[in-house]
Amino acid sequence: MTFAGLPYNTLVVAVGVAAVGFAAGVVGSLCVLRKRSLVGDAAAHATLVGVAGAFLATGRRDLATLLVGALAAAVAGLAALLLVRRFTRTRDDAATAIVIGVSFGLGIALVSGLPAWGYADSAGLEQFLLGHTAALTAADAVLLTGVACVATIVVSLLFKEATLVAFDAAFAAATGWPVLVIDAVIVGLVAVMVVAGLPAVGAVLVTALVVIPPVAARAWTDRMGTMLLLAGMMGLVAAVVGVVVSAAWPGLATGPLVVLAAAAIFGISFVAAPERGWIARRLRSVTRNA
Amino acid sequence: MLFGNATFFGGDPAIHGWAMATAAVVAASCALVGTLLVVRRMSLLGDAIGHAVLPGIAIAVLSGGRPGGLLVFVGAVAAALLTVWLIQGLQAAGGLAEDAGAGVVFTTLFAIGVVIVSAAPAGTHIDPACILAGDLTFIPFDTVAVVGFAVPRAFVAGTLAFIVLVAAAVVTWKLQVFTAFDSAAARAAGVPVATVTAGLLAATAVATVASFDVVGAVLVVALLVVPAAAAELLAHRLHVMALVAIILGVVGACVGYLAAWHFNTNAAGMIAVVLGLEYIAAAILAPDDGVFARAIGRVRLAWRVACEDRLAGVWREEEAARGRPTGATPTLLERCAAEWLRIDGSFVRDGVTWRLSPRGRREAETVVRSHRLWEAWLGRHADLPLDHLHPPAEWVEHHLGAAMRRRIEVETGWRQSDPHGREIPPESSSQS
Amino acid sequence: MSHAGVDRGQEGSRAGGPPLVEFHDVTVAYGRRPVIWNVDLEIDAACLFGIIGPNGAGKSTLLKAALGLVPMVGGSVRFFGRPLREVRSRVGYVPQRETVDWDFPVNVMDVVLMGTYGRLGWFRRPGIRERQLARDSLDRVGLADLAGRQIGRLSGGQQQRVFLARALAQQADVYLLDEPMAGVDMRSQEQIFRVLAELKAEGRLVVVVHHDLRTAAEWFDRVALVDMRLVAAGPTAVVLTPENLQRTYAGHIDVLEELGRAVATRGRTP
Repeated sequence: MTFAGLPYNTLVVAVGVAAVGFAAGVVGSLCVLRKRSLVGDAAAHATLVGVAGAFLATGRRDLATLLVGALAAAVAGLAALLLVRRFTRTRDDAATAIVIGVSFGLGIALVSGLPAWGYADSAGLEQFLLGHTAALTAADAVLLTGVACVATIVVSLLFKEATLVAFDAAFAAATGWPVLVIDAVIVGLVAVMVVAGLPAVGAVLVTALVVIPPVAARAWTDRMGTMLLLAGMMGLVAAVVGVVVSAAWPGLATGPLVVLAAAAIFGISFVAAPERGWIARRLRSVTRNA
Repeated sequence: MLFGNATFFGGDPAIHGWAMATAAVVAASCALVGTLLVVRRMSLLGDAIGHAVLPGIAIAVLSGGRPGGLLVFVGAVAAALLTVWLIQGLQAAGGLAEDAGAGVVFTTLFAIGVVIVSAAPAGTHIDPACILAGDLTFIPFDTVAVVGFAVPRAFVAGTLAFIVLVAAAVVTWKLQVFTAFDSAAARAAGVPVATVTAGLLAATAVATVASFDVVGAVLVVALLVVPAAAAELLAHRLHVMALVAIILGVVGACVGYLAAWHFNTNAAGMIAVVLGLEYIAAAILAPDDGVFARAIGRVRLAWRVACEDRLAGVWREEEAARGRPTGATPTLLERCAAEWLRIDGSFVRDGVTWRLSPRGRREAETVVRSHRLWEAWLGRHADLPLDHLHPPAEWVEHHLGAAMRRRIEVETGWRQSDPHGREIPPESSSQS
Repeated sequence: MSHAGVDRGQEGSRAGGPPLVEFHDVTVAYGRRPVIWNVDLEIDAACLFGIIGPNGAGKSTLLKAALGLVPMVGGSVRFFGRPLREVRSRVGYVPQRETVDWDFPVNVMDVVLMGTYGRLGWFRRPGIRERQLARDSLDRVGLADLAGRQIGRLSGGQQQRVFLARALAQQADVYLLDEPMAGVDMRSQEQIFRVLAELKAEGRLVVVVHHDLRTAAEWFDRVALVDMRLVAAGPTAVVLTPENLQRTYAGHIDVLEELGRAVATRGRTP
């Protein structure tokens, strides 16, 4: 069974990854607007430990098990970030870099050690590094779609609260909103989307999925709601392009292709968007000077 | 995609020695550069550069450069400067926040690099596994002849890079420190801040490329930032911090390598893990604001407060009516403090009542004097009702030193009594 | 609570009820280092109240502590005789303009509507009533025709008025404003002051952190002079004396700063 020349499995996987791309764009918009663009990167690099840990603990390699482990590790990485911030005078940027470097190192050490420690069937875990959609099944795709839908619904429910906190956290706190809780939900959603993006984009690059589409979408609109939708659409397109191209080019990991597709969208947006695009700005400054 | 493990070599100590030495020397370079990155809050830029040099290296390798060769260094420095130029360009031309801009730029460049590497013909000196976790396993076998000895090329390149970076650091240290401390003032004083910063970024690229074979593009951030961040907790002066960072980096590289050998896993990953453990140890054990030191400081203050409160409490009882029992029951801590003060000789126990020894009296008078001086100061300099003066003085009394007491005495006009009309005891002759 | 002081006034107190705002021995620290020491202050009548002091005196910190935005290490603040969390909807807040990113993708109307969120509660979206309220608030600050404009395309004065309109949409009884006149053109200043005077006339209390002494005397009914501690508080004419100003602007904070360092390090001053 094929559709538009694509095998059935590729098609189903493309739908699942597209849903993840959409939700990641939506969730990432909140994160970028809250000025926490690279929080997702810390969570992403920590996921590898969870993937290896989940395999070690259960001996299973199905996607759900590994992603649950990845999510636990992502949350642990973010908790480590909070601990560093609370108990040391290390600044936030260095703290983020520490979590990224050390957690990824631990993940690499675990993934490399597994075969040597007698886990012969651990091959495939390293596909979570750069993404590899060819190995996904239709059931995996359904799982990813479900996660993406839930994340999108949570954002639409909390749209008002998240906007308020992202725009003016002090005012939000002064008017009685639990800023920490709302922040935790935003960051938690980012962690979930980073984990959901792992199979397609991989730990090293998945942060692009929550950063690039929002930044590109911002160029086209001045309204929050529109920006979220647009970022979602851009994430979706990037994900689909990445999956389809990698299906046609088997030697290549999916992640870089998704990122390059997103980067192309960003480039077009940055240059050509009306009002905020580079050309529009240049034209404005030229007409002003004339 | 398979990562090399440290046991790949078997048991040849010379091979392991070379691999470890290479890891140590590049870790030293990274720690030196990382010190400046960390204090200038450019840690994430270091991470971005680590990723973004990949296309530069890949293109250089495909055009015939060898890992550790000059062409690769040039390609990487170019890629690093391009990264920073792009991030700053997006910031200036599009109003993009620095972290968001970095998120866009380094992922894009890294993706380009991965695609180039994946598309490279087989047999090229670079592959995706090496990007992610380095290629320490092959380093000892790619040698060049140095005065007749076969020395690994990566070690030679790493050592040269380290020497160049140390020389550059020594020559430009004052400028770097000035810029790191206050770049606006530095610019006003005529320091070419942009050049200094560009130099730091180029140095970051050099350190990154030197480490590329050892730890790969992703883990280089651990070498750059973790030892420097740990050193920052341990040292207060920048050059001491740099030195501590280098030591931590070298120790982390060696211990990490040995751990990888022992646990039979990837060396780059274990080096990052050991560096992380060093950071945790520094955060806990740092002498002045480590978790431990702060806990000890808390306990010591609580103990000092308990002792001083007991002394002052008994002094006040004596002042009010000799031997009259105190109204408030001392807490357990204060009772322990009282016992200690008796052993220490500040208290004399006289049946059921406590009396102050001459020394105890001097100490008690110092505390009461601090308390009443502070009430007098507040009464004069703050708009506080009379009955609100006691609580603040109750904790400030434990923090006033002799010089400050004298100053307050002057500022309150040498008053003999506190706002409640009680006598302020004179400063005791012995130092407290 | 009976204690002496300048501003524990008898006049104007609302039907003998509790004071509108009451700071009781408030000490605020950043980290462990106190920056506001033992502030004791009551405001018991609707008026225009200025908190005046030099830069770095902790005026804004005091306001933030009252709103629970920075933790207090000692003391308490009560509104209408009750803790803030019971009466939040009656307390309006205008933060400093620089604290937010004006490039944020929201328009003027969106920001003013945020004033109604507190009463809406979780999940409910603003409806017709809230929009009408927001429009009325914008009208009061003279920005009705800019409702659809992205907030980054406003002048500084207009942005400050948007923040004021957002506070108006809170429909509070006590308003706390943090430097509303900083970096604002004269026309906006006058407009803001006119609205504040209206609020006072409606029987609301308006507390303004302010740094400009010249305008303070003319705008505020009562002031508090603050420089790491409360120097004096009361009717403007009584408080703004050369002696009090001298104590505020060339005061003795170096003692407090040195002591703050000692407290922060759990040690002693020299």
